[in-house]
Amino acid sequence: MFQTRNFSRRRVLQGAGLLVGGLLLPGKAPAQGGAKRLAGVTLNVSTFSAPFPKILIKWLPEFEQLTGAKVVYDTPSFPVYNQRADLELSTGGSAYDVVNVTFIYSSRWINAGWLTPLDDFIRDPNKTPADWDVDDFLPGLRAPETGKDGKLYGIPWSVDTFISAAARFDLFKDAGLGFPDTTDDLFDTLKATHGKDKVAGFVTDNHYGWSFVPFLQAFGGNVFRNPPDDLTPVLDTPEAIAAAEYFARIVKDFGPNGAISYTPDQVVKALQSGRVNYSAIGQTYLAQLGDSGSKVAGTSAFGLAPRGPAGRFPGVAVHGLGIPAASKNKEAAWTFIQWALSKQNTRRALVEENLASPTRRSDFESPEFKTSSTINGYDIAGIVRESIDISAKGGYMKYRTVPVYPQVDQQLNKAIANIASGQLSARQAMEQAQAGSIAELKRAGVAL
Amino acid sequence: MPGTLSWEASRRRAYLTGLVPALVVLAVITVVPTLFLAGASLTPLSLVDPASLFDFSNPLRNYAELLHDPRFLGSLVMQLQLSALTVTLQLAVGLGLALLLNVRSSFFEAIRTVFLIPMVLPPIVVALIWKIIYTPDVSPLHRFLDFVGLPADSFITSASTALLAVAVADTWQWFPFTMLMILATLQMIPNEPLEAAKIDGANHWQTFRYIIFAYIRPALIVSGLFRLIDSFKAFPLIYVLTDGGPGSATEVTNYYAFVQAFNFSYWGYASAIAIVLLTGVFTLSWAAGRLGWNGDEGE
Repeated sequence: MFQTRNFSRRRVLQGAGLLVGGLLLPGKAPAQGGAKRLAGVTLNVSTFSAPFPKILIKWLPEFEQLTGAKVVYDTPSFPVYNQRADLELSTGGSAYDVVNVTFIYSSRWINAGWLTPLDDFIRDPNKTPADWDVDDFLPGLRAPETGKDGKLYGIPWSVDTFISAAARFDLFKDAGLGFPDTTDDLFDTLKATHGKDKVAGFVTDNHYGWSFVPFLQAFGGNVFRNPPDDLTPVLDTPEAIAAAEYFARIVKDFGPNGAISYTPDQVVKALQSGRVNYSAIGQTYLAQLGDSGSKVAGTSAFGLAPRGPAGRFPGVAVHGLGIPAASKNKEAAWTFIQWALSKQNTRRALVEENLASPTRRSDFESPEFKTSSTINGYDIAGIVRESIDISAKGGYMKYRTVPVYPQVDQQLNKAIANIASGQLSARQAMEQAQAGSIAELKRAGVAL
Repeated sequence: MPGTLSWEASRRRAYLTGLVPALVVLAVITVVPTLFLAGASLTPLSLVDPASLFDFSNPLRNYAELLHDPRFLGSLVMQLQLSALTVTLQLAVGLGLALLLNVRSSFFEAIRTVFLIPMVLPPIVVALIWKIIYTPDVSPLHRFLDFVGLPADSFITSASTALLAVAVADTWQWFPFTMLMILATLQMIPNEPLEAAKIDGANHWQTFRYIIFAYIRPALIVSGLFRLIDSFKAFPLIYVLTDGGPGSATEVTNYYAFVQAFNFSYWGYASAIAIVLLTGVFTLSWAAGRLGWNGDEGE
C-alpha cells in the first residue's frame, strides 16, 4: 500500500513536471546555462484560507523549482480576503497576480472589467496544451466565472455544496428516527434528540446569507423577485417570514450555547468532538467529520439539504482562480493557474490530501474520489454531484452572483441573528431586512 | 534695541524653520486625508464607479440620507451607550484601584506594574483573550459558572449583555490608564490638608469628598476625556467579539462606517459617517474641556 502510494506520487510528480516542461516549449525553453523562464518573477497570489490553498502552499517549492518563479501566497480569512481583494481590484492595483474570484463577488468583479479574460491563454497552444482540457471543469461551475461577454475569467478550484450531516446519527437511531429528509422531519428529529447524551441538536455557519437561503427557498421564498433581471427584494413575503421563523427557532432552541456566533470552523470542531449532532453547511467542511482526529467518523451520516414545502434547494458556491486586469505578470500568473489546476495536481489533491471539493468531471467520476469521499459508508461524492445537478437544473443560485448581493447578504445575517437572539419577531426582522435591502439597493443605483 | 528686535526676529525665523518640516509632515498625513475625506463625503463615491469621486452635483445627499438611515441613527445611540459605559467603568475601576494602591511599599509597586499589562497589549490580543473568555465551549469563566451551578448564556450572543461584554473587555484593557493618572495625582497630594482634616475630626468619606477629590478632579476629567475620545475608536473588540451583533446590538458608528466602506464599497457614504463622527468627537472634547479642567485657573 505504502509503495503503491509512493509510486503514484512519483507518477503524479513526473506528470506535473512534464506539464510545466510542456508549457515552456516551444519557444519557451529554458535559456542555455539553465536559466528558467520565470526566473526573477515574483508572483503574488491571494485566496481565502481553505483546504486546497493549504495544499498548494505545501506544493509551491515544486512550482518554483520548475519555473524559477518565486510565489508569495497570502490566505487570509474569507471576509478579510474579500475586503482586501475588492479594494485592490476596484482601485486597479497590481498587488496581486492571481486572485480568488469569490462567488458572491464574481459578477461585480468580472463585469466591471477588473479581471483578465482567460480565453486567449486557453486557446493558444503555446501557452496551454490541449490535454489541460478546460472543458473537463464542470460547465455548471464555469458558468459563474463567465462574464456577460461570454469569456471565462476564472478557473474553478472549489465548489462548496450545501449538504447535511448528523455527527451522532446513533442518537437519531436510538430514538427510532432516520436521517431527516424534510424540514418537518428535521424539526421533529431535533426536538426528540436535542440534549440527549449532552449533545446539542443543530448548529450552522453564522453566515446566514449562505446557510439560511436553502431553507428560505425550500419554504417557497427567495431573496430577489427574479434575479438577475428583477432585483426587487422579497424578504417580507409570508413564505420568507415562515422560513426565518423556522430557521431561527432551530438555531435557538436546538443549538449549543452561543450558537449564533459559530463560524464554519467552529461548526466543524463542535461536530467532530460530538458536542453537536446535526448541521447543514458546505461539504468541504462536513467531509472533515471523517478526518483522523474526528471522534464521530464512525457515527456520522450524510444526506442532501432538507426538502421543504417548495422543494429542495441545495446551495452551490464556486470559487475560481483569476488574474487581475492590472497584473504585471499575466503570463506567469496563467502558468501558475495551469499548474495549480492541472489534471495531475487536482487528482493528486484528492488522492494524497483527501480534498473534498473537486471541480473537474474526471475527478468527480474517479474511483479515487469515490473512495476518499466515502465516510462511514456514505457516498459524499454522490450527494455533492446530485446537489450540483439540482442546482444546475433549478437555476435558483442566480440570486447570489448579482453585484449587490453582499449588501442583502448582510441584511439576512442580521435578520436571523435578531430573531434567534430574541430582539425581533420573524416578521419584524424580515420587514426590517426588506426595508434595509431596498435602501442599500437604491444607494447602489439599482432601479426597483 | 534694534539689535534685540533683530535677534527676536531671527529666533522666530529659526523656530519657524525648524517647525516647517514637522508641519508639512503633519499636513500630509492628517490634514490632506481629512480634507479628502470631507470632499469624498460630498460625492456618491463607490468603488464600482471611481468617476463618481468628482460628482458634486448633489453634495449634501449623503448627509440627507444619514438623517433617514435607521441603522446609522441606531449606531449613534449604541455609540453613546458604549462610550458612557466604558468611560464610567474605567473611571470607577481606575479610581478604586488607585485609592487601594496608593500605599508606599515595594509590594504594591510591583502590583501596580502587573495592573499595567493589559494597557500595553495589542488590541487584537486583548480581543482574542476576551473571545476565549466569552466563548462557552472553551471559556474558563463559563466552566466556573457551570461548576458553581450558575450556567450562563453566551454573553456576546445575547442582545442584553453583548454591549456590556464589549465594555467590560474595553475596561479591562484601559482601566490602567485612568488608574495611573489618578495614582500619580494622589501621590502628589500634600500631607498638611489631610492631617488638618483628621485633626478636625473628618471621617474617611469627608476627607475623600472635600480634600482628595478636589485634588484628583482635574485628573479624572482629563483621563475621562481621553477615554471618551478613544471610546469612539472601539473597533478591534467589536470586530472580533461580536461583528456588530447580535443583529445590530453592538454596531457602533465607526463600525457602521467600516461596513459601508469595506463591505459595500460606498466610500462617499462612509466618509459622511466619518465626518459626522469626527464632528461629534471634536464637539464633545471641546465641551468637556469647557466644563472643568481649565477651571482651576479661575479658582
